[in-house]
Amino acid sequence: MTASHPVLEVVAISRSFGALAALTQVSFAVPEGAVFSVIGPNGAGKSTLFNVISGLHAPTAGHVRFRGQDLTGLPPELISRRGIAKTFQITNVFPEISAFENVRVAAQSRASVSGRLPSLWRLPDVDRTVMQLLGAFGLEARRDELAQNLSHGDQRYLEICLALATDPVLLLLDEPTAGMTPGETKAATTLIQRIARERGLTLLLIEHDMSVVMGISDRIAVLHFGQKIAEGTPEEIRNDPAVIEAYLGGADD
Amino acid sequence: MSKASRPVSCGAVVVFAALAALPLAPFMSKYYLLLAFDALIFGAIAMSLDLLMGYTGLVSFGHAAFYGLGAYAAAVLLERGVLSLWACLGFALVVVGVYAWIVAYFATGRRGIYFALLTLIFAEVVYTFFRYTQTFGGSDGIQGLPEAVLLPGVPIDTPAKKYYLVLGYLAVAFVVCRVLVRSHFGKVLVAIRENEDRARFLGYDVQRYKMGVCMISALLTGIGGALYAIRAAYATPDLMLWTESGEFIISVMIGGLGTLVGPIIGGAFFTILRDKVSSYVDWYFIVIGLVLIGIVLFMPRGIVGLRSIMRIRS
Repeated sequence: MTASHPVLEVVAISRSFGALAALTQVSFAVPEGAVFSVIGPNGAGKSTLFNVISGLHAPTAGHVRFRGQDLTGLPPELISRRGIAKTFQITNVFPEISAFENVRVAAQSRASVSGRLPSLWRLPDVDRTVMQLLGAFGLEARRDELAQNLSHGDQRYLEICLALATDPVLLLLDEPTAGMTPGETKAATTLIQRIARERGLTLLLIEHDMSVVMGISDRIAVLHFGQKIAEGTPEEIRNDPAVIEAYLGGADD
Repeated sequence: MSKASRPVSCGAVVVFAALAALPLAPFMSKYYLLLAFDALIFGAIAMSLDLLMGYTGLVSFGHAAFYGLGAYAAAVLLERGVLSLWACLGFALVVVGVYAWIVAYFATGRRGIYFALLTLIFAEVVYTFFRYTQTFGGSDGIQGLPEAVLLPGVPIDTPAKKYYLVLGYLAVAFVVCRVLVRSHFGKVLVAIRENEDRARFLGYDVQRYKMGVCMISALLTGIGGALYAIRAAYATPDLMLWTESGEFIISVMIGGLGTLVGPIIGGAFFTILRDKVSSYVDWYFIVIGLVLIGIVLFMPRGIVGLRSIMRIRS
């Protein structure tokens, strides 16, 4: 793999549900180490795009390439194994086990024993990885709390811990700050950005709130009714008449 | 590794030692030894089912088929003069393994009520087959089996020997289950119970894990069935009836889901309660039903759940 090779290429993806075209011919490429955001009003097709990339839905047409390899139509578990992790817009953790056990089960998926016969009797020691991750998000003290008893903000962080524990190359973040106060949003955004930089991660971020992405994105694509209407740097997007029209003219946001 | 290296606590060893000393007690007649056998085998099977119900969140309504097939596998060999215990157990593992693989393959692709129904339907098919196939004795099953032998010349012919056989089985099954639930595999099972979709997004092929745990649970249950045929000297289709599966489920519930020890206690409690009440009244299922409703309503975490409640109050 060369540095010039994009980590993720989305090539003319379309996805329809019956008569509804959720995505139409969407293409973009995410370079290594970049923070790439996809924005758009509610219902623009952002979550469908993530579901196609992460393997929940196969696209009706088009291709997804990751580090040059075609991923189109692979199931989520194989896409995860290739190095793409996803966080969910609605917190999606393991509610009735502790925060520690949540991250442990994610981290052990990359242990050498995983998927092999000795995994029936061995438990890989991933405690250090788990505690480092919990520490990075300020969750060490709550390691033994059941996930469902954590505050909303902490559950959002746990969600990211689960994704990071699988040691991904590319992290898909679906509205990571959903439901946070403006103060929390700012802190969370800074934290995510710092951790991504430390780990050399490539980030693909979905947001409907423009203000969140403007500060941290290298590049932004804008979806509207399932089509890409603009792509460029935050400055270009801010001044793009089509984008302003989509956000201000008649959209539900 | 360190946490998985000591799967059996001192308490468990003491309890097993006490159970091993039980036949020496003066009140242990032949009748009580065989009742103790039934209690322990029911407990061991409930524990095996707990791997599915308590840890993976899958409810099997078809465990009676694994139990009954294990019993028939042993009975067919004993009937033909193959008396070796190990041959009987080996054959039961093969027969139950093949059947369990087929059931698991289809059932684990479905969730919730569909999984439960598929296990039930498969089991009913097996029941009906044995009920109406004269080669296997039809509704009478295979009766009057000779005693199995542990080694050539060492028959398992007294209630005490049979009791120690089932105690050995329970001990092995307990260690297997304990090691399993504390392993990498066991942690993934719990993740599947908690949130199957999320487990997939972490890279786990959840159907493979579900099939694996179904197979292990079924094989442990099948060995129990083979031992039951050896103890009772018969195998009948009634062992495969869906009510039997229901009793396994009830035993897990009253003992405490996801605790392993709880279902052993639950299974033993259920067996002894049924035996005691039925010796006094014919309508014993009404009494048992009321007791079970009480337990489910007022002790939702089962018998072992009481321990933590008492700890909080004291």
